[in-house]
Amino acid sequence: MHEISELMTKDHRSCDDFLAVVEKAVTDQNWQLAQAEFPRFRDALLNHFEAEESILFPLFEKRTGMYQGPTQVMRGEHVQMRQLLAAAEAALAEREADDYNGNAETLLIMMQQHNVKEENILYPMCDQQLADQLDALLPELQKQLAG
Amino acid sequence: MQALLSFDQAPPLAAPLRFFLTAPLFAILAALLLLWSGPDLFASRWTGAALALTHLITVGFMLQVMLGAMLQILPVVAGANIARPQLLATLVNAAVATGALLLASGFLSYQPLLFELAAVLIGGGVALFIVGAGHALYGVPSTNATIRGLKLSLLGLTVTICLGVLLAVAIDGSLALPLMQLTSIHLGWGFVGWSVVLLAAVAFVVVPMFQMTPAYPEWFAGRFSWTLLTLLVLWSVADSAGWQCLSPWLAAAAVLAIAAFAALTLQLQSRSKRARFDATQHYWRLAMLSTLAACALWLAASSWPSLGERSEWPLLCGVLALFGGFMSVMIGMLYKIVPFLVWSHLQNLGRGRVFPPNMNKVIAGHQLNRQMQAHFVALALLLAAVLWPEWFTYPAGLALLAANAWLLRNLLAAITFYRQQRLTIEETLTHVSAAPAEAR
Repeated sequence: MHEISELMTKDHRSCDDFLAVVEKAVTDQNWQLAQAEFPRFRDALLNHFEAEESILFPLFEKRTGMYQGPTQVMRGEHVQMRQLLAAAEAALAEREADDYNGNAETLLIMMQQHNVKEENILYPMCDQQLADQLDALLPELQKQLAG
Repeated sequence: MQALLSFDQAPPLAAPLRFFLTAPLFAILAALLLLWSGPDLFASRWTGAALALTHLITVGFMLQVMLGAMLQILPVVAGANIARPQLLATLVNAAVATGALLLASGFLSYQPLLFELAAVLIGGGVALFIVGAGHALYGVPSTNATIRGLKLSLLGLTVTICLGVLLAVAIDGSLALPLMQLTSIHLGWGFVGWSVVLLAAVAFVVVPMFQMTPAYPEWFAGRFSWTLLTLLVLWSVADSAGWQCLSPWLAAAAVLAIAAFAALTLQLQSRSKRARFDATQHYWRLAMLSTLAACALWLAASSWPSLGERSEWPLLCGVLALFGGFMSVMIGMLYKIVPFLVWSHLQNLGRGRVFPPNMNKVIAGHQLNRQMQAHFVALALLLAAVLWPEWFTYPAGLALLAANAWLLRNLLAAITFYRQQRLTIEETLTHVSAAPAEAR
């Protein structure tokens, strides 16, 4: 009954873990490691957005008829997070620790408040609305999340 | 269901900020009261000055921060939007702030009229908030521990305020009520039924997410607020009925549950994946350590009569819980909430064409850290003042004053930053939209 919630929530946590690895490297001033690890975080986050925007949200919108509802808000927040991601990546390339930390912290808070909304409200609604489509939906989501 | 569909309606920036800015003003008043009344304040927890100080912190500081934070988090965690947030915030903030001033004046002068007016204003303000929040939460299913905790905490707040109003009306002796007993039940509901239940509901979300720790175990988070409220109800009944063989055990069970929450939070925090501890995390840790110390002291005083008879221990417990526990965690949270809200509102103003500086630029990091050090010193001096009032009351009052003036300064800096950046963004947007016209 909670397959979509479980899959997507697990992916949120793994994005967090990748971000934590970069933060640790920046704190240790290990710029080489930070720059090597950042793409893993960036790709995981972008794959997650893509899975939602191209697979999960359209199905949900079609099923419920809610095209201007929560999914629209989530898309808007994805745009903001993509901008923060780009700003953090630019700061990392310049090896600007303060700038990187500020952008990454803002991104983290933005991500977490976004995740709370999805995990508490949107995913449970998807679980409810899309229960009959899991067989096709889950493998497709897994494939997109894996990149 | 309708409430679930529109979680884009974050309240306007001024709505929560109004509450957050009022809070340090009351802590400054508490510090001034401490300096004015001197060491006598610590003679017992029942002195007028001690009661006034307690309510300046609980109603003036804590209640303001908690109402403002709730206004902000209800749409995020529960998809519950409060209708007309700006109007509600203005009315509730003004009523509770004026009520808190009257209540403190009441305790200092024992004028029944001041208590009655305070009861009307605080009772009315909080009732308005509960109706607004209750209406927003109506029909939202309690799908997790946080949503359930938020709802239960509103119940705790309702009982606390009803008992407070009753006490304020009865304080002149016109109603034949057992005032001491009612006071301890009022205090139990305020500390545990409202404050701890709300704090835990918020912690279940923010500790794992912002500090990147493992989640609270399901068996704990799922049962915590219910268990605590059930114990509180049973204890209130046992205490009112005079069942002395039962009520201390129920109270001890509630204190142990709170200690377990604090210990678990510290244990989770020690497994944080964050590379650095920032001011918010230090504040959380201090708050949980203070809560553990307050619980340990309470249990020790209840077990050993020689300690329980001393007048210092309730004051020590109070300082640890209020200044060490609740105030610390709230200031720590303000240092994340306020910069993020400022950034988020500026980001929306920029409409994706102008980008504000990141949230760490909103309040300078060294200002946060120095304020935090001042708060730590104030807490240590307050604890010392309870034990040696002649020596430490004035230094404690000065430290409390400094720490909260600094907090106010930091919050005002965030507002100045918002205003400056808003101007920059508006100017840039005007240029951007004017440029194509000029080109033509």
